[in-house]
Amino acid sequence: MAGRVLPENGAVGENVKFDRIRRITGYLVGTTDRFNNAKRAEENDRVKHSLS
Amino acid sequence: MRESVITCPEMIKKRNGAPVPFDVKKIREAIRKANDAAMVEAIAPFQFEKLVDEVVEAIPAGQTPNVEQIQDLVEEKLIENGFAKTAKAYILYRAEHTKVRKTEADLVNIYRELTFTSAADADIKRENANIDADTSMGTMLKYGSEGANYFVDNYILPKDIAAAHINGDIHIHDKDFYMLTETCCQIDLLKLFHDGFSTGHGYIRQPKSIASYAALACIAIQANQNEMHGGQSVPNFDYAMAEGVACTFRKEYYDAVQRYFWLEYDCENVLGDPFRTALKDAMPERINMTNIDDYEERLVQWLKGCGKMWLGEEPREEDIRRCHRTSIRIAMKETDLATYQAMESLIHNLNTMNSRAGAQVPFSSINYGTCTSPEARMAVKNLLKVTDTGLGNGETAIFPVQIFKVKEGINYNPGDPNYDLFRLAIKVSAKRLFPNFSFLDAPFNLQYYKEGDYNTEIAYMGCRTRVMGNHYDPSREVTCGRGNLSFTSINLPRLGIQAKGDLETFYRNLDRRMELCCRQLLHRFEIQKKKTVKNYPFLMGQGIWMDSEKLNVGNTVGEILKNGTLSVGFIGLAETLKALTGAHHGESEESRKLGYEIVSHMRAYLDQKSEETGLNFTLLATPAEGLSGRFVRFDRKRFGSLPGITDRDYYTNSFHVPVYYPIGAFEKIRIEAPYHALTNAGHISYVELDGDTAKNPEAFEAIIRCMKESGIGYGSVNHPVDRDPVCGYTGVIDDVCPRCGRRECESVSIEKLNALRKKYPDIPVYLDANH
Repeated sequence: MAGRVLPENGAVGENVKFDRIRRITGYLVGTTDRFNNAKRAEENDRVKHSLS
Repeated sequence: MRESVITCPEMIKKRNGAPVPFDVKKIREAIRKANDAAMVEAIAPFQFEKLVDEVVEAIPAGQTPNVEQIQDLVEEKLIENGFAKTAKAYILYRAEHTKVRKTEADLVNIYRELTFTSAADADIKRENANIDADTSMGTMLKYGSEGANYFVDNYILPKDIAAAHINGDIHIHDKDFYMLTETCCQIDLLKLFHDGFSTGHGYIRQPKSIASYAALACIAIQANQNEMHGGQSVPNFDYAMAEGVACTFRKEYYDAVQRYFWLEYDCENVLGDPFRTALKDAMPERINMTNIDDYEERLVQWLKGCGKMWLGEEPREEDIRRCHRTSIRIAMKETDLATYQAMESLIHNLNTMNSRAGAQVPFSSINYGTCTSPEARMAVKNLLKVTDTGLGNGETAIFPVQIFKVKEGINYNPGDPNYDLFRLAIKVSAKRLFPNFSFLDAPFNLQYYKEGDYNTEIAYMGCRTRVMGNHYDPSREVTCGRGNLSFTSINLPRLGIQAKGDLETFYRNLDRRMELCCRQLLHRFEIQKKKTVKNYPFLMGQGIWMDSEKLNVGNTVGEILKNGTLSVGFIGLAETLKALTGAHHGESEESRKLGYEIVSHMRAYLDQKSEETGLNFTLLATPAEGLSGRFVRFDRKRFGSLPGITDRDYYTNSFHVPVYYPIGAFEKIRIEAPYHALTNAGHISYVELDGDTAKNPEAFEAIIRCMKESGIGYGSVNHPVDRDPVCGYTGVIDDVCPRCGRRECESVSIEKLNALRKKYPDIPVYLDANH
């Protein structure tokens, strides 16, 4: 998760990343930063499944 | 003479990759040493030369082989030629050398990497994504873990098993805990609460309100998590919380009745305990959400008899009835609110309370959805509402893993008593990824089901573990008080590659691997068996594990542990099929059949093993948390980059159709469903939806229904859940936040956020001291 978000010079968000929650091997993870390399690769490769 | 017609490679690659001249004498020497060690199996000189020739001949022409390849060939040829004892000695010789090399690789280097490299750069620190290895306690945990692994590899495991793990034939999960404990347990909260319990630092009475029920549920999960290395699960969450809701409802009702009469009759006499006690004594069956009308009649009767004594005057019947109905309304409202708050604390607690020296939160799972009492329904409705709302700033809660149990006649169809909760579960899952869905009607789950007995309802733990059948005690095929003891996974793609298309070779090697895993699981079980109750003050000391309440603190737990499971898992069925046939099960009908055959073969092996031992050997669709990259790393080094097999950074999860393969959701479900019936130690299937489709409840429900109708045991839908911490937007974010318009790492003016807040009140307020 992102740390504290502090404003500076009337603006806020500099260097603040988006949270991207993903399910990896069954558990949710709040940021992909802590995925190991293999899981990052797997997440990156995922394709969406159509409903047709 | 023969040597003249065989072409030797010129060079060979050493383990560090450096090429050196190939020397056939070394092969001869290695075979001779192994044969000497085997003692009883003399190899004649001519057989000797033939063996060496066969090894050299088998080296693919024009390639520079590496040491591992040559050693594989020696093993293969010894077995082919019937020198079983020499082969065994050779395997042990290899194992011993692998271990020596590992020793040289040096624990100190690992400690150095842990100490001086940040998690962003060190893969070793990101093995488990839910542990923050950059914190001091996270690093301390890794020191312990790596030290334990080193000890177990070098001093505990039989040589061939250690080698099989080190070289990636198999993976012994949670090996750092080898000498210590078991994986997981399904906690019966009701049993725990009814008996009262102690966490080791004081005794806790049976709770009296939904707030305490929820708080103690967290404490039980936390206490147990500190004694086991896997996740903790509550199989009967709704049944358990229902009692807490009932407690609160009762209390709120009696409070309201007393206050009503106090105000109406200006009579303080009714406020004290004596009135309450008299009321309870007169009506031993307490008020609850299902006996409201009955209770009203009895209350009228009672107060007609003794009302004057308490109220100073004879109460009018109409007054008593109004008191009752008002009190019911108040109690309902207050209980609903208290339940919402209790569920909110539960989720907050499970995402913040620490276990394992503060390095992570407990891996918690809760199963619910089948209890139809109004109290249980109130608990589940509020839990889902809280999950929908998210944490303090609207963040998606990571824990607990929530599992909604789908059952025909209870919540699956319109008209079923909990159908509304099923619909709500779908809505929440479409926003928050939880709950997942388990299917009690899948034949392999339905066979245990007895209506109204939560102990016979299948429950899943965390990422997929399932414990139900019981070879040790067939009269107790239940969920509560049981769990997995340990599990070990097979590198299936490697067997596929080594078989070179020959199925007979594949199955022969698979059986050898299964034998090795079972032997290893039993080796570990022998260690586990010798533990005593005092090694598990909570799990065994407080009677969580089945029958542990019958043991004294000094007793060993070996016998009661037999109710748990020993599981063999696998990953990469897709890559295995690709290696064997050129196509995975998403691509070809033929591979689908073969895949089913392979997994059936593994299951049959383990069923047979259960028969022989009276223990519960089960087959697991491995979750592969730290394993997804490990096997393939070894195999790419050994066999090169093989298209569709070793050319990605991970092997595909268990029996899944590869994540990169384009396929329709319904077809994927139908292809994966048959494997759920085979993997009795646990399984899960996923469908990936884009954000818009996931938001369509009809589409979402169609997927869940397809899972149920296809015989899936446990499934879930993945979809992107992004959040901008700056403006609080939750949903899909591509490059630009749809709410505040900033890109990742860009800033947005406070002025703009203030303007947006008129439309979106949940945007955080920022105070800028410099402006």
